[in-house]
Amino acid sequence: MPDRSAKQLDATLAASAFQKQWFADLRRHVFDERQPYALVQADVPFELFDLLEVPAVSNQWWAAIIAAKRQAPAYLDAMSADGYHDGLCRYCSLGYASTRYRDVQEPPWGGLPTPRLLCARLTCDCIHRVFSLWAEAFGSELFEIDHPGASELPPRWWELGRHRWRELVEPHRLAFVASTLERLVERLEAISGRRLEREALRQRLEMVNQQEEVFDAVRRLIATAPEVPVRMTEQISNVMATQWVRGTEWALAHARAFHDEVKHRVEQGIAACPGERARLMWVGAGLWHDTDFYTAFEESHRAVFVWSMYLAFGPDGYIRYGLDDPMAALASRTASFNEYLHNPPWAAEWIVQQARDHRIDAALVLRPRSMKPAGTGRLFIERALEEAGIAVLPIEGDVVDARAWDASAARATVKSFLEARVIS
Amino acid sequence: MNAVISWPSVPVEIVRAAGLRPIFVRSGPEGTAATPVADEHLEPGIFPGRLRHLVDAALNGRLDNAACIILPRTSDPDYKTFLYLREFQRRGSARSLPPTILFDLLQSEGPDVRAYDAERMKALFEELSSASGRRASLDDLRVEIARTNAARSAVRRLVALRHVVPRIKGSEVLPLLSAFWQLPPNDYVQLAAEAADDIAQRPPLDGPRVLLAGAPVDGSALHAEIESHGAIVVEEVGPWGSGAAGDDVDSVGDPLLALADKYRRDASGPRTPVGAMRDSISRMLIGIDAVVVSLPVEDTAFGWDYPALRDLLQTRRIPHACLRGDLSDHDRLNTLIGAAEARHA
Repeated sequence: MPDRSAKQLDATLAASAFQKQWFADLRRHVFDERQPYALVQADVPFELFDLLEVPAVSNQWWAAIIAAKRQAPAYLDAMSADGYHDGLCRYCSLGYASTRYRDVQEPPWGGLPTPRLLCARLTCDCIHRVFSLWAEAFGSELFEIDHPGASELPPRWWELGRHRWRELVEPHRLAFVASTLERLVERLEAISGRRLEREALRQRLEMVNQQEEVFDAVRRLIATAPEVPVRMTEQISNVMATQWVRGTEWALAHARAFHDEVKHRVEQGIAACPGERARLMWVGAGLWHDTDFYTAFEESHRAVFVWSMYLAFGPDGYIRYGLDDPMAALASRTASFNEYLHNPPWAAEWIVQQARDHRIDAALVLRPRSMKPAGTGRLFIERALEEAGIAVLPIEGDVVDARAWDASAARATVKSFLEARVIS
Repeated sequence: MNAVISWPSVPVEIVRAAGLRPIFVRSGPEGTAATPVADEHLEPGIFPGRLRHLVDAALNGRLDNAACIILPRTSDPDYKTFLYLREFQRRGSARSLPPTILFDLLQSEGPDVRAYDAERMKALFEELSSASGRRASLDDLRVEIARTNAARSAVRRLVALRHVVPRIKGSEVLPLLSAFWQLPPNDYVQLAAEAADDIAQRPPLDGPRVLLAGAPVDGSALHAEIESHGAIVVEEVGPWGSGAAGDDVDSVGDPLLALADKYRRDASGPRTPVGAMRDSISRMLIGIDAVVVSLPVEDTAFGWDYPALRDLLQTRRIPHACLRGDLSDHDRLNTLIGAAEARHA
């Protein structure tokens, strides 16, 4: 049985090394060369920042780093002691806590330098408040991208997104988001002193398409291989390292290297968990404070996590063909992220389709403790999966807050579930 | 014909101009009435009582005769409820539900928001006219704006009778103020004037003055609880009390743009910009002896404002209590009002 904690792919090690070096370079550029950078929500268009040479750090990525290094509890305790109640979202605010309570402990990798700009889409009700507080704590500017609500949600969105993306988003929403992105470009141009060339944006989005096409091929390899060739955690490491710098030469090259390694493993019959008996999917954001959870059932039950949204959402959520108006294409991707991933009917029908494509036996669905808006739509998803014949186990937990997480109890619950409903 | 509305950030002027009667869904007297059918579909701890009531009524067929259901984008749970109701209709579990409309009012301060909101106001006007079958004109809308402005004036007179020298308790005046949203404006003007004439004859009330901050409450139960300790709630955050009226809507220019400006600025909820909320509370604190901060279990937004509010209150030496979950914490309220009485004296 493969070592549960060891990385099985060379690409994973390369991805981790790249991220660490990227962040070290960022700190050097900011401190030594006074280069501006931005702190942003994961769903903003990173391409605009990169093209205007204002590097962007993802709030969710930073929160995951803190959680993975087991540093979240100290920051979250400080936040609670300061009067922020425990029902408030911890995922989106952990980065803020690491800034406001910076004296609590030494942050990972030297910590975040002061950004020139913060940028967030106003999806959940808390985002405006968290980012306003964070911007105040840094003394930095905040740029907000408001989130108009969707009234029309045509079925099977993932089939429309690539070629018929104008049909996915109502015209008034598309125009509003595109206009807001134009304003963002104006701010970034003012900060960087550079001009955004539309042709450069179009080329970057074409590169993003190529990268996501590679991920699509990886997804097919994983879905169709007799046994899953790459662990879900390593899928996430490789995908997210590239998504944060998507459309760059490194990202495309790394996506291809990842693909080639997975393909080689499939051709050689190498499985992440040889003799797999149960194929699992994880629905929700990752348990960043306990990623060992995802390999905990391999040895005992030959149960292996095959799917998470992180790889699958790349090709289905990002590819946009027909780039004559690249800003509109970018806006069409940006406008409905939350609806794709959380809300009825879009989230449930996509996840069921993914489960079928990946021959999933059982789904573990996160019931987030504090990310309440991300918890909406969950009952629709759970019921749709069960109706499709896929056993569902809800897992209550927080993606960054380990304080109330009983790792042993959670593993015992999953094992009982596997024995009772999945592995006959 | 009734338009069932989930929160008063939907312009009643447009609803009435379209020939519909606005009916607002609220939590009920104690906010705890059972909603068993809704509870099967709504995740716990996310949706406030008013939305659970709305979904329960929708799935039980109690809204089938309404002309439409309107949910504003001014909170995430309202938006999600819109998506859920649409899904129930699509899946056939609420086949006879009337048209469900999202009123996509944005409240951020970006330069494109104003025009977007005006456009959404126009779309709402057209959708409601379609739902009612009455083709209202912009002049019809101007008439409704003028009528509603008169009702706002009546609200302001009532509000003046609870400030500075209060002559009516908060628990008593809240129903009078919140009726602004539902009564026909002409009726409201008359009834509110009669009430104000009566209240003006009353002697001033003694007792510490309390501001109710945090998440807006849509009933008077917490007011009554606070006032059972001898205090008087003279102000609260939210649209159901002193905030019901606000300033008049400009009736001279483009009525849709004027309504967009008014409701974007005055809509009170979790997406109200933090700067506007801070300014508003800072103004409310004048003459206040104590503050009760209400943070119900489903709160995702107002809790972020609490530490800054606490620091402000400490600076101004105003005692406060933060009620989380259990909004009838008798002992804490007793202690708070004791401190407020000392300050009031």
